Amino acid sequence: MSQIAHIFPFLVAGWVFLCGLYGIATSRHLVHTVISLAVVQTSTYVLLLNIGFRTGGAAPVFADISPGITTVDPIVQALMLTDVVVEATVMALLLAMVVKAYEKAGTLSPDDLRLMRG
Amino acid sequence: MITPSPALPIAVPLVAAAFLAGLRKFLRRWLADLIATATAAANLWLCAALLRGSWHSNIVYWFGNWFPRGRIVVGIGFEVDPVGAGLATLACLLTLLGFIYSWRITDSGRDLFQPLMLIFMAAMCGFAMTADLFNLFVFFELMSTAAFALCGLKTHEPAPLQGAFNFAVTNTVGAFLILTGIALVYAVTGALNMAQIGFLLGSRHDLLVIAAAAFLCSGFLIKAAIAPFHFWLPDAHSVAPTPVCVLFSGLMVELGAFAVLRMTSVMFGQSLLQPHSAFRSTLLLLGSLTVVWGGLMCFAEHHLKRVLAFSTISHGGAMLLGVAIGTPAAITGWLTYLFAHAMAKAGLFFTAGILLHRLQSMSEPQLFKRGRSLRFTAALWLLGGIALAALPPFGLSNGEDLIESATHAHALHLWVTLMFFFTSAMTGAAVLRVGMRVFFGLGDAGPADRAAQIDEAPDGPEEQHRIPARMFLPAALCIALSAAPACIPGFGRWFFNAAHRFLAQSLYIARIYAQPTHYVLPSAPHSDLGSTLMHGAIAVVCALLLASWAVFHLALPRGFRGATHLEGPMFPLRKLQSGHPGDYVVWCMVGFVLLGGCLFLLP
Repeated sequence: MSQIAHIFPFLVAGWVFLCGLYGIATSRHLVHTVISLAVVQTSTYVLLLNIGFRTGGAAPVFADISPGITTVDPIVQALMLTDVVVEATVMALLLAMVVKAYEKAGTLSPDDLRLMRG
Repeated sequence: MITPSPALPIAVPLVAAAFLAGLRKFLRRWLADLIATATAAANLWLCAALLRGSWHSNIVYWFGNWFPRGRIVVGIGFEVDPVGAGLATLACLLTLLGFIYSWRITDSGRDLFQPLMLIFMAAMCGFAMTADLFNLFVFFELMSTAAFALCGLKTHEPAPLQGAFNFAVTNTVGAFLILTGIALVYAVTGALNMAQIGFLLGSRHDLLVIAAAAFLCSGFLIKAAIAPFHFWLPDAHSVAPTPVCVLFSGLMVELGAFAVLRMTSVMFGQSLLQPHSAFRSTLLLLGSLTVVWGGLMCFAEHHLKRVLAFSTISHGGAMLLGVAIGTPAAITGWLTYLFAHAMAKAGLFFTAGILLHRLQSMSEPQLFKRGRSLRFTAALWLLGGIALAALPPFGLSNGEDLIESATHAHALHLWVTLMFFFTSAMTGAAVLRVGMRVFFGLGDAGPADRAAQIDEAPDGPEEQHRIPARMFLPAALCIALSAAPACIPGFGRWFFNAAHRFLAQSLYIARIYAQPTHYVLPSAPHSDLGSTLMHGAIAVVCALLLASWAVFHLALPRGFRGATHLEGPMFPLRKLQSGHPGDYVVWCMVGFVLLGGCLFLLP
């Protein structure tokens, strides 16, 4: 049983990753592409949550708990926070590009924006 | 001479970038140029001093003085080895030349051009020097984000937006693959410092380690533009401003392969890097695929920057062969090749930028016969083509020879020699063909493919009648420097020392834990001038023949016009370059499955 509980979040992360990829691959709207990318990113959250989780662990705020109490892994928390910040920047930049593309090319479809190919 | 703190090459440009970005409304243009150029020059000095300081032993720096307690690393550290410091120095040099080149031009989006370039430089320096896996990811993302913005700088046209969007989506998927790999490594070891991970993993070689390696390598190979991860690169290169192209092709792409090598040598050293491991075979396979794919597409393109972009892909594949062979001699060759290629390619991109400035076009059919009065520009372009074809004294020939002579098995030696010959001949031929048509007006204008019709908005308002020295000098300096590894004797010994130290996992780990290290430098291998001269001459002659075949194909009898196909539709490779980000991401996943499958299934 515990084995399944251990594997299950990995499977969820993989599934979410593939969903996002499917979204990007079949996208016909640039905003949809960016949101699908955000879905791919969510899979890394699930994975990190799983890795940092300790059963029965408290929040890793050491100001008001006595030493020796099990907490969840604080490093993973820091990783995830950095991940959120970094990817928020990328998403903002991508959405800004989408806005510019709509202004300049008057289209939001990746197929109409394919000026360069070959 | 004192060695500066390794944190300075990251802190100084970031502070200058914030200053320039914040005060850009109040600064005169010349003052902003001066501050940016001076910062890049100061950073070049800092990195060069670090390079000097790391000559005998790696420099270790702990942020906030959080040094390791026992075997446990608690802080974030930098470990500067000669390869890391050397790549950082190269980043600063190329940025400095880019600033000199773009002094008072690059009008579009000019306000943020300099801060973004400085951030890009800082991120590349940090990427090359960090010893922490997650820190590596953060610098990777900082580098990527600055690169996306720089690529789409000319926002008043749709084509740069397409190029930057495809670049950003593909590389961000790569970043998630890397993050997944980091999470898996952390799950196995509970550590993020690469040295500690290497110490904990030892020779462990199980499913989870292979999966982590596959995730990490795929992510970095997207950045390294190895086929089939490479589709984003030509789109990004054909729209980015010239100094940005120089940094992309010269260094950013190569940093992907650097990261793969750093990771495998420090973290997975004993499990992946056995002499005949599946990992090496996989890299050989992908590298060969890239050489052929990039070489064929390079000759098929007619947009000058796309020609150079596909040549970067092909050369990147050739460099991956060096990484795959992975002996100290091969890594020496890899470093030599990397430096010489960065310089030759930077020179060619600067020359393409001169053509854009002077003649307002990047398309080969439109430039036909129009460069006949530009004698010095023609000389630079043709010398660059010969440098790509690896003729001595250009450094690519030395690198090629060192990598080839590092292979012992006969079949492998033959294969690697053939691959290097292919990349030299095809990319050299493409550049020489462009030169023959544009500067000498030979033959006909050549076919106009779709990508060649997308023209770039030039930097200046109308056709210029003179080429300023600030554009010409960086180009000439770069082409001259690409011959440095062969002409300056100290270079070879230095590259060998750097390569040896780069591969010594125990040395890297010992420095992190501040243990005494004993290191004796073995004697450096010598490249044989006779064989390099012969290889180079054959490649240049073949390139010239191929270029002439393409240029004069109409003068030939109908049965001998095969070059029209090589230049033309190139089915199916050209069709795969579809311009849709979704297709590119699917190809990245195909590459990931291929790489992972090879790592699992190969013996």
